[in-house]
Amino acid sequence: MNHTKRGIFTTTMVILTLLFFYLPMAVLLLYSFNSSKSMVITGFSLKWYNELFTNSPFLWKAVSNSLIIAVSSAFSAVLIGTLGAIGLRWYSFKLKNLFQIISMLPLLLPEIILGVALLIFFSAFSFPQNLFTVYLSHITFNIPFVLLIVMARLEEFDSTLLEAARDLGAREIDVLMKILIPLTMPAIIAALLMSFTLSLEDFVITFFISGPGSTTLPIYIYSMIRFGVSPVINALSVLIVLATIVLSLFLSKFSKYIINH
Amino acid sequence: MKKILINLIIILLLVLLYGCTNSSKNTDNKLYIYNWTYYIPDQVIKDFETKYNVKVVYDVYTSNEEMYAKLKAGGAKGYDLVFPSGDFVKIMISSGMLSPIDSTKIASFNLLDPLITSKIAYDPGLKYSFPYMVGAAGISVNKKYIKKFSKSARIFENTALKNKMTLLDDMREVLGLALKELGYSVNTFDKGQLEEAKQLVLKWKQNIVKFDAESFGKGFAAGEFWVVHGYSENVFLELDPSMKAQTEFFIPPKGGPMYIDSMVILKDSKHKDLAYKFINFIHEPQVYAKIVDYLKIPAINMEARKFVTVSPNYNIIDLKNCELKEDLGEGVELYNKIWEEIRI
Amino acid sequence: MTEKSRLGHFYLFPLTIWSILFFVSPLIIIILYSFLTKDIYGGVIYTFSLKAYQSLIQLTYLKVFWFTLKISVISTAIIMFFAIPVSYYIARSPLKNVLLFLVLIPFWTNFLIRIYAWIAIMGNNGFLNQLLLSLHVLKTNIQFLYNPIAVIVVLVYTYLPFAILPLYAAIDKFDFTLLEASSDLGASRLQGILKVLLPNIRTGLMAAFLFAFIPIFGAYAVPQLVGGQESFMLGNMIARELTITRNWPLASAIATIITLVTCLGILLYIRSVRRSDEKDGK
Repeated sequence: MNHTKRGIFTTTMVILTLLFFYLPMAVLLLYSFNSSKSMVITGFSLKWYNELFTNSPFLWKAVSNSLIIAVSSAFSAVLIGTLGAIGLRWYSFKLKNLFQIISMLPLLLPEIILGVALLIFFSAFSFPQNLFTVYLSHITFNIPFVLLIVMARLEEFDSTLLEAARDLGAREIDVLMKILIPLTMPAIIAALLMSFTLSLEDFVITFFISGPGSTTLPIYIYSMIRFGVSPVINALSVLIVLATIVLSLFLSKFSKYIINH
Repeated sequence: MKKILINLIIILLLVLLYGCTNSSKNTDNKLYIYNWTYYIPDQVIKDFETKYNVKVVYDVYTSNEEMYAKLKAGGAKGYDLVFPSGDFVKIMISSGMLSPIDSTKIASFNLLDPLITSKIAYDPGLKYSFPYMVGAAGISVNKKYIKKFSKSARIFENTALKNKMTLLDDMREVLGLALKELGYSVNTFDKGQLEEAKQLVLKWKQNIVKFDAESFGKGFAAGEFWVVHGYSENVFLELDPSMKAQTEFFIPPKGGPMYIDSMVILKDSKHKDLAYKFINFIHEPQVYAKIVDYLKIPAINMEARKFVTVSPNYNIIDLKNCELKEDLGEGVELYNKIWEEIRI
Repeated sequence: MTEKSRLGHFYLFPLTIWSILFFVSPLIIIILYSFLTKDIYGGVIYTFSLKAYQSLIQLTYLKVFWFTLKISVISTAIIMFFAIPVSYYIARSPLKNVLLFLVLIPFWTNFLIRIYAWIAIMGNNGFLNQLLLSLHVLKTNIQFLYNPIAVIVVLVYTYLPFAILPLYAAIDKFDFTLLEASSDLGASRLQGILKVLLPNIRTGLMAAFLFAFIPIFGAYAVPQLVGGQESFMLGNMIARELTITRNWPLASAIATIITLVTCLGILLYIRSVRRSDEKDGK
């Protein structure tokens, strides 16, 4: 085995990348314990954590809005997107190219345009804007990401496997549940994570779509920019990362179970 | 495998259901406010909620343009009370977005400083709006790095401070500052005057590091920028006590654009009575004094001045050469073009 | 109608409905708007006009377009340079799930907060300057922020994981015995990677490229926050036309053009999928 030589370049790149990714995390951690409000380090303090838990009702409301939207839109987008990817991969029909381009297009549009377009659309049909419209919009921008990820995976499959299963009399539901979904599981999980992350992050589209009472975390934070982002947000970020690590430990066991199934 | 999928679908449905019930119960006895970030201390809102036993749903924006674009496209339907600046009050009146204000329902109508109200041309007689705060952008200087300076907009011509200064990323504020410096009106349509102002701003542009309306306060607090053009509350809320001592804020003596931010009730508001209650509550002298102490800007409510305990960053008198921004109407094209030539 | 095409309809049904409702219709509105007359107080007047497109052909707009293109190409190139070896490593590692999560975790904190962390690192009194000063690499502070390089660094940081994920998914299912076979046949490792691995993960590469390039092309917040006076990208321009100058038709026209131009990207992607299909003998 000549893994070692191949390893030097890629290992360096991975280490560099992780350093690059975690440097800002370290800074966040540091500032969350800083007693001063500004970027100057003045001393250790837990006051931002204290304020987070005792005196930040609007912030927690925004966090809960964000989580609801991220989880629900990720699952819905993966459901619609995975089925769509299977359809696009194996079935041909008239205008398939056009259809494919259109379904990928939300990805290409600058977010701000999709945001405004959806806003005008919802208001044209006097759809009351609330968390539900935010949910619909997040699904819309998540679907093309799901399509791309899942299609990239499906593409490597040998479709004769499916034909064989069908020839042997498998029902389509079995083909879907026993062959297609297990085989695409890594891509489905990747798509879920991607959608969840994108949704949690999204500012621009949500900004236009949100109405009274549906402020999400990015909107809440962006609105603080002019008057200074409070270090309470740093404390919150640190906690989110911790929660994520716990969740990911749990999920990595879980996903291994699914893949090895 | 199937089980997992079914579980996932159930989770999804539950989450959806929660989302829907959560958003559909937003009905009565709630006041929907759309305001600038940090413009009212949280405590004041809580006090209002306790006093009248209602709930306030509070969303925020960071610029008039943002707020207006959203209302215009119909996305902000459902708000009761909004806080636009004067020029936007005018625009919103002419777009028919506002509900007229019944002055008999407002207790503090006569408590406003006539020095300010006399300048109001965007809504004569306050038929659609009631002033909340008055103020102007100024210049903050870090005295730790800059020992000697003259209090004037000409500070942006100092090449020794190259790359340490920022101007607001706001066409009216920057052009207005230059126009005032040259002795012209901030609402001029005179091409020659605007051309002169453009040349002046281009000269300043060589020394500034960026046009910034978002993070200049943070940059100033970090020592990144030494001279920033902007609203004092944006800067001072960022500063530590030690840093405050070494910061000087001034309104340029030749003046600049000033603003009056007002409370307006939207036409489609479903809680107008609550909105009046809120306006009256804000202008209760003690409450108003609390807000002014927090923002450190001058009080427009004369009665409230008796209760103010913190000295503001500037006083009403410092605004004597400042001029209110008016809506430019069609003339905005002229400004847009000049600003584009400066900015890009 | 054959059994097969009925199945196709079944799979595609939800996607079709969704796309038409929540994407195609809003998009048509935007295209419509680009041919209407602007209202000075925002919104549009319903009379036909080509003014938006005419005013696009101006030096200032072309300058912004060129700058945006330059930044996007450079950032995406750097992203791909990192993403390929990193996703390769992850896909081959026995700890791939852990590594995948390690890559993702930082991105579950808000991007604005991360941008602020970068401002703290790259600032005049920031960590980087302090470090370089204490190591005597520098004699005085360097201004790292507020220039195009800062914009590129933060853009790379923000969009690198979006390239790693699809690449990982593609490499993960690559049959590595092919590489061994090629080395048995006397190919060098580099040759193996260039001639066997990369062509086989072409769609993954395409996806990674699109995931990085496209959001960068429409970037708004990053140039706004860490760029200097010249860092004005198309995203900033659209935002400006929508809110400050209130020229909705112009904003729509920019969006329409970007959409048309980038459609080519998708066509290329579809081509590459099809080509690998044909190669597989389908």
